[in-house]
Amino acid sequence: MWPFARTAALIALIAAQAAWAQEKILRVTFQAAETGFDPVRIHDYYSGTVVEAIYDTLLTYDYLARPSKLVPSAAVAMPDVSSDGRTYTFHIRKGIYFTDDPAFKGARRELTAQDFAYSIRRFFDPKNRSPYAFLFTGKIVGLDELAAKAKAGAQFDYDVPVAGLQMPDRYTLVIRLKEPDRNFNYVLAFPNTAAVAREVIEAYGEESSAHPVGTGPFYLKRYVRSSKIVLAANRGYRGMTWNFDPGDNERFKQIAERMRGKRLPAIDGVEVSIMEETQSRWLAFQRGETDIEYQLWEVAPTYMTDDGKLKPEFVRRGIQLDRTVDPEITYLYFNMLDKVGDAPNPVGGFSKERIALRRAIAMSYNIDDQIRIIRKGQAVRAQYPIPPGVTGHDPKYVSLIPYDPRAANALLERYGYKKGPDGYRRQPDGSPLVIRYASSPTERDRQFDELFQRGMDAIGVRVEIQKDRFPELLKMEKQCRLMLRHAAWIADWPDGDNFMQLLYGPNIHESNNACYQSAEFDRRYKKSLTLPDGPERDRLYHEMTRLMEVDTVWLLADSRIRNSLQQPYVVGFTKHPVLHAEWLYLDLEPKPAP
Amino acid sequence: MAAYTLRRLWQFVPTLAGVILLVFFLFNWVGGDPAYLLAGKIPNPETVANIRKQLGVDEPYAVQLWIFLKQVLHGDFGVSWSTNEAVSNIFATRLGPSLTVLVPLLLISTILSMAAAMLVAYVRGSLTDRAVMIACTVGQSISILVYILVFQYVLAYELGWFPVQGWGVTFRDNLLRYSALAIIVGVAVSLAPDIRLYRTFFLDEINQDYVRTARAKGMSEPRVMWVHVLRNAAIPIVTNVLLQLPGLLAGAFLIERFFGIPGIGREVILAVERSDFPIIKAVTVYVAVATMAVNLLADLLYKAIDPRVQLK
Amino acid sequence: MSEQGVWALAWRRFRRDRLGYGSLIVVVLYVAVMIAGAAGWLARDWNLEKGVSFAPPSFLGPEGAESPQLAKAAEGAQPVADYGIADPLAPDLAAIAKNLVGAGAGQARAATLPFGGDKWGRDVLKKALKGTQTSLVVGFSAAALATFLGTLFGALAGFRGGKVDDFFNWLYGVFTSIPYLLLVLAIAAVVNQKGTFTVILILGLAGWTGIFRLVRAEYMKHKVREYVLAADAIGASPARRMFVHILPNVSHVVLVQLSLHVVLFIKSEVILTFLGFGVGVDTVSWGSMLAEAGSELLLGKWWQLTAATVAMAILVTAFSLFTDAMRDALDPRLK
Repeated sequence: MWPFARTAALIALIAAQAAWAQEKILRVTFQAAETGFDPVRIHDYYSGTVVEAIYDTLLTYDYLARPSKLVPSAAVAMPDVSSDGRTYTFHIRKGIYFTDDPAFKGARRELTAQDFAYSIRRFFDPKNRSPYAFLFTGKIVGLDELAAKAKAGAQFDYDVPVAGLQMPDRYTLVIRLKEPDRNFNYVLAFPNTAAVAREVIEAYGEESSAHPVGTGPFYLKRYVRSSKIVLAANRGYRGMTWNFDPGDNERFKQIAERMRGKRLPAIDGVEVSIMEETQSRWLAFQRGETDIEYQLWEVAPTYMTDDGKLKPEFVRRGIQLDRTVDPEITYLYFNMLDKVGDAPNPVGGFSKERIALRRAIAMSYNIDDQIRIIRKGQAVRAQYPIPPGVTGHDPKYVSLIPYDPRAANALLERYGYKKGPDGYRRQPDGSPLVIRYASSPTERDRQFDELFQRGMDAIGVRVEIQKDRFPELLKMEKQCRLMLRHAAWIADWPDGDNFMQLLYGPNIHESNNACYQSAEFDRRYKKSLTLPDGPERDRLYHEMTRLMEVDTVWLLADSRIRNSLQQPYVVGFTKHPVLHAEWLYLDLEPKPAP
Repeated sequence: MAAYTLRRLWQFVPTLAGVILLVFFLFNWVGGDPAYLLAGKIPNPETVANIRKQLGVDEPYAVQLWIFLKQVLHGDFGVSWSTNEAVSNIFATRLGPSLTVLVPLLLISTILSMAAAMLVAYVRGSLTDRAVMIACTVGQSISILVYILVFQYVLAYELGWFPVQGWGVTFRDNLLRYSALAIIVGVAVSLAPDIRLYRTFFLDEINQDYVRTARAKGMSEPRVMWVHVLRNAAIPIVTNVLLQLPGLLAGAFLIERFFGIPGIGREVILAVERSDFPIIKAVTVYVAVATMAVNLLADLLYKAIDPRVQLK
Repeated sequence: MSEQGVWALAWRRFRRDRLGYGSLIVVVLYVAVMIAGAAGWLARDWNLEKGVSFAPPSFLGPEGAESPQLAKAAEGAQPVADYGIADPLAPDLAAIAKNLVGAGAGQARAATLPFGGDKWGRDVLKKALKGTQTSLVVGFSAAALATFLGTLFGALAGFRGGKVDDFFNWLYGVFTSIPYLLLVLAIAAVVNQKGTFTVILILGLAGWTGIFRLVRAEYMKHKVREYVLAADAIGASPARRMFVHILPNVSHVVLVQLSLHVVLFIKSEVILTFLGFGVGVDTVSWGSMLAEAGSELLLGKWWQLTAATVAMAILVTAFSLFTDAMRDALDPRLK
């Protein structure tokens, strides 16, 4: 008996070794280079993705709930909010540890409330020049005053107590806000607000961007800048069990069936390659060199049929498709001020002539062509400033502004924009009319230039295309020095307010690109801040949208469809509207032997 | 010789000064303000002002220029504005991949083009000569962009002989797998112009008097080619290759970008896109110094090999 | 040997080179296309969307050309409600709608075009023809500018020597030391207005260095020759000596360089346009066609790539062969 058992055990061990021998590494790509992994310093989407995988935030999103729902992550439960809406009490889970690092001098380092408080403070240290400081600016009691002292030249003080960030005990964090803020919980789900360890930041200084040490499901194993990011599963992770409610969605039900009960993270690591060229990404995916691809807009017609399904040859190979609409809008904006820089602005102002000009330009732009030809059919028309998947979206709303170049021409004639001897329309007072449309010198923007040019040619208005590199355009835009440009906004959090604030007067020079200031709009916006999501707020939003259309501040264009392709052995993946990295929630069935 | 070398080294200074001034003023004048880019989605004026302070661009031009000069003298250009990585580290790590592609590329293409050029020089005037020359002309008339697109599509994707792009861990992997296609494209693109150029060098030599003398003395044609012509034509060829190197390092950006090679050319494009001045400063200065150094080396080499050459 | 004699001899030698002569014919044909394009006789309507998006070439026959359906959300639907905000333009728009009777019939789009269509349905063949005009204009003008600058600087530096030579050598050093991409960017940034003119400036200002070096060497050789010393003896001014006496004897070098740079700049325009510093949106060039072709190849649409590559290849090859033949004719020793 004994020898038999020994042999059986040996065989079992060998079999187990064979099964373990093949590591489950997920291979994905980024289409733009990352910049670093310090949560407070990052300013781009892709760095945010890696940060999400390495660190823990207080809250996160339920993987399957739609519309997106916040759930606790490092916190034990959703926070206790005081009745006046100003005090948030978080209880941190016990037993969460940072991955080992020399900065901890050999000790195992547990995550405490202090770490979150420290991380929030870091937003205000001028040395960090955080692009996401706006998340907390003006919100937390005592923090802005502390920041002001540092701006005066002194070192930022990390030790002096702050009234708005209290830690009554090791695992409790009490945040006191100056004003109640409906969306504050969303802020704490941002990857930038994740907890970092003070010892690590102080030990590595300027290099901390390349030396992330977190409590999350993965850690940075190998890093070749702008080229390769290799993450490995954190064996010390507190772990979680896959247990999400799929609701009625068929695809989610299938996912739930395969994933329920699995211990996460189910994979052993992630290998990210930076591939800027679409050709490279597409060919790599087709050859099986990458596992998931969702950055393939330009080649959609090669794998999608006209009616939004995966082409048969790909279905036969077992490629899976996950199709979602991004919570974003793209739009064309007009500068609403009287002047652009130092020159008078021919499209700005609220007189009927100017509104007519803007309306005619808006009516001449062919959004269908944009979707059909530039987006290759992978977009839906945006009629409402709040896109699908975001609270407050109204699928029944229809835009006031149709595509009608003939009516546009008639409108311009009616308002005195007559054609001059050169065939181009002039202003009502006879002076020349030149529209300056700004864009960057990329091939992608060139397509939009062409489409815009065609629209303007149809109504006989002269266009000058102003080319500048992206950083320059950004600067001029924020200074209200651009006349017309395409813009896009993707949801920071899934609430409609995040989109309506783009037209709010006080946000000029920040997110209000059109530099639009309307007392009517602002009045309604301020009121909407006090209301929860519901019919009353919707009514205000409808009125605000109609105001935007009537003043013709924007021409809403589209929201892009995200097609995520996965190899047959990827299990449990669906693109989350807000989360960047779904790596924690998916699995890879072992690949068949080559 | 020594006096000449010293004089040339001394001439580095005004040239470098010219380069520094040119880059500095052009970049500051029109190079783009990175502050807004780094300020993120909602840049309030305070954030932007703070960023400019941290980067040091709110100082007056004279101060910034002085800092730049000090950086050149110490060879330390600080850290990248977008990633905070030390510029010296960037160069140290990116040089390897660039050279892994460029050195084999130059070696292979030089050897191949020299062989082909010698062959056509040998049979000059014949149909073979004409045919090869025309083939080279046609090959040269196709844009490098087309070569990259088509080669990547056909060889990597359709036939699957090479990975589409990427970079590995070990040197052996990088050299044999990941650089292969980039090297092939590079060789394909440089063969045509190099063959034409080297043919001219060979013909120059063949038409020299000493060659006629050698033939008159009864030396066989192959021997003439191998022993005399090759040796003498090798000098301009080698110097030609050397002179190209600094420019190629920064200029191979198309190949590096399409094939995902983390080299210097790619860093340059990234830096230009992000208005990352420290990297642009460093690349410009390094390439300028390298170009001047290689030029000097080439001239000295000429002098060393052919004492008749008069160095002014 | 008189001036006319040298050139006439060269011409006779050139004529004997059949290949070179043939190439000249091809080049002349292309120039004719360029002129026809500029005058508006050829491909004037290249910008018209005649075909469906990505219409295949006629010899392939109509395929299911790409026409991805759009989510027909609220096509033609009227806005649901007023929401209490009045539109100041409502009365005007109502009046206009009444006057515009009947939907404007969209003109039928061709299912195929002679050599296919691009994403907007524009005729690729016409684009290639019109692109010839742009690319040739850019090539010739930039080469002319670079040659003018290089010759002028080279003449001054080679002839004058001394401080003038030092200055130009310094300028040469600075320009050749800066990486090409950065030089292009710098010039592009200074010239604010983008477009064909900018491309010509960029190429011309960045490309004079090669010509400078050669011309300078030539001038240094010639200024000590007897005929120049003789001219000096009879009191000819430096300018006269430089441009009336020496320049004609150096012109064959200059001509060959001009020709080489035309080819170089036509190819450079492609890279520049790919990087985004090229011609404007309302202009088509081989560079803009190739830049678009990058993403089209993945979709299996190869005709724009082919048309631009072939058109460019034929011209560049012909021009290069012509340059070789010209060089051989002007300097027969090199044969």
